Amino acid sequence: MTSISALANVHKKGQFGDFEDKNEKDLLKISEIKNLLLVQIFQYKNSKIKLENIEIDELKFKNEPLSVVNNDNTRILWNGPKNWLLVSTKKELIKDIFENFNETDFAVTDLSHSRAIIDIEGLNVKEILKKGCPFNFNELKKNNSINTTYNGLVLTVDMLNDNPNKVRLFILRSFGESLYHSITDASLEFGFKSL
Amino acid sequence: MLYINCPHCGMRSQNEFSYGGDASVKRPLLNKEVSDQEWDDFVYNRKSLRGKHLELWHHISGCRQWIKVERDTSTHEIFRTFKADEEVV
Repeated sequence: MTSISALANVHKKGQFGDFEDKNEKDLLKISEIKNLLLVQIFQYKNSKIKLENIEIDELKFKNEPLSVVNNDNTRILWNGPKNWLLVSTKKELIKDIFENFNETDFAVTDLSHSRAIIDIEGLNVKEILKKGCPFNFNELKKNNSINTTYNGLVLTVDMLNDNPNKVRLFILRSFGESLYHSITDASLEFGFKSL
Repeated sequence: MLYINCPHCGMRSQNEFSYGGDASVKRPLLNKEVSDQEWDDFVYNRKSLRGKHLELWHHISGCRQWIKVERDTSTHEIFRTFKADEEVV
């Protein structure tokens, strides 16, 4: 099933802000991402199952702060102790997940329709994030993720790439438009292209 | 602004946390006869010390874990942080 856009009312394509006389390649690029599988996986406190024995899309789960294990299609973000967010373009993985994570040891929740997802790419990505987040983004490297706040909105930041910088922001769907406004406002001074 | 070293995530801004009260308060044991005074102390009465104090904080916008923080209530200096189930010596 195709996801309905969470940002359809606000996301307009085009160039905005201080984009004139700038090379299009140097502009920030902001896009909405849809049709991803998002699954929250939480291991219960009393569970004794070892995660080394579980693989999803040939990826093992890592219980380490900031860590993201990934391949071309799937990323597994550490969200907290024994708590992960699996993000994948392969929607059929949901079957594997329910087969591998039994309900006596894990809480598995499909969040695919409950998040707005925004990708930002460009040189000034970290400057945009610094305007609203209290986190020191200089510490955030490629394939790191954190939960934090942006102008008071709780979100997950996934650092997809660092050359050029590219981040993916996940936020509760109902806060998506507010975050989009905050991000685009912060981007105006650099000029951005909305894809 | 305070910076709190979450034992799970690392150094984070206070904005990501929510204060949870005195961490030294112990709930009366289950199945034990509890006097009104003991309930009153557990639910309402706090010492509100000036100085070093053990507090609960919830990393509500981060890893969503409860943690213990040793903080000076007069200077706001934070000395140590612990996981919620860690014994503080």
